[in-house]
Amino acid sequence: MEDPETFDALPIRIDPVSKAIGTTSSSKALNEELEKLNALHRSILALETPVPPPPMPVNQKRTAGITKLRETGNDAFRKGKHAEAIKYYTLGLQMALGRPLWEPQGLVREEVAGIYANRAQAHMAMQNWVEGAVDAEASVEMKRVGNAKAWWRRGKCLMEMGRWEEAKEWIGKGLELEGSESDLTSLLKEIEKHVDVQKA
Amino acid sequence: MFEFDWYSLLLPLAYVGVLFGSLVTFSSLYRKRKAIASATLAPWFPPHLQRNIYLSLLHLDPAEGDEKAVAVPQSVVRAALLRRATEDIHRIIQIRTAKQACATLLQRGSVGDDLWQRFLRAEKEMEDELRDVVMEANALSPNWGQTIFQSANEIAANTMLRDRLDEIQAQTESEKQWWEKRRASIQSEFMKELDSSAASSPTKIPQKAGSEDDTILVESPTSTPSSTRKRKGKK
Repeated sequence: MEDPETFDALPIRIDPVSKAIGTTSSSKALNEELEKLNALHRSILALETPVPPPPMPVNQKRTAGITKLRETGNDAFRKGKHAEAIKYYTLGLQMALGRPLWEPQGLVREEVAGIYANRAQAHMAMQNWVEGAVDAEASVEMKRVGNAKAWWRRGKCLMEMGRWEEAKEWIGKGLELEGSESDLTSLLKEIEKHVDVQKA
Repeated sequence: MFEFDWYSLLLPLAYVGVLFGSLVTFSSLYRKRKAIASATLAPWFPPHLQRNIYLSLLHLDPAEGDEKAVAVPQSVVRAALLRRATEDIHRIIQIRTAKQACATLLQRGSVGDDLWQRFLRAEKEMEDELRDVVMEANALSPNWGQTIFQSANEIAANTMLRDRLDEIQAQTESEKQWWEKRRASIQSEFMKELDSSAASSPTKIPQKAGSEDDTILVESPTSTPSSTRKRKGKK
């Protein structure tokens, strides 16, 4: 954008039927960008208003759906049907991440963090330590503070896999952000005890 | 009545002439070079692809006289403008984060003046670009200019968030493979140790095998150095 009055004309054209924008160029960046543009166009067409509404207030329909899936998952978990709970959580995640991109990201973070933490728990109940660790990490990534459960869950998973050093580091980081959360401190003590025994 | 000695005045005059002449030449040369340098200053950002797409769309008139050429629907134009605003948000973030660092580096003399010039130009261009986008938005839909950057901001943040999540979830496969391998080696180690200790000294096992099964195997990390290193690389 050297000059506000000029632009580079790009070899793009529009499909008369689907209204999708295509290009004759083989440039990778351009093709990727056009793909994103077409996706955005489709989601704009699904709107009732001509332009995306401002981020606030939010459409409550999707929020209700996500909450419901999460509750169903929680119920299944409580009844001990862990695989089923994971299925519901996964659906809830898809729905939460399928929010139109212009809706507030803070809301998405909040919802997704909760569901990931729950799914991590369900995976842990089935002794899938790898999936549990990854989900808990995703949850922490979405919500770093006030998410002690997810910090604890990844620490526990790492511990179960015998990755003591990593677990220690992880819990230490968690304690920095969460203050002296009792669950985290007790887990850290457990890990430290083990590491000490190992060294001795 | 005045006896003017022109010859003795010639020397100072020539001196002054040469002095000014060289000054003028130097100054004009210097300015010319500076102008050329600033004109060839590399732009801060790469070409604005989204802006080019948007403007290309606007100029995509059925000028070729083609029968099948159709007018671009307004919704596509709006989507293109929103993409452009999103890219602008990325650029604004870059400029904001770079500004402090750039100013500090310039003060310390760590970077040249032309970098700062490039930066200032990029900043000014961004301002024009934002104004332009707001105007276009208002033209496309009344009052959209007030909210387009709010929407674009959320889009930018949401995209980053999803990319990050995909990155994290993508680890699952390799981690799983590592864990399978690790578990297999743990089991074989365990069996071996069980055999050998049963033969020689049975005192060590009972106290450890109680709580965690994998404890013993972690005790001998030297036996699985490849897997440990692999995990670190991935992290």
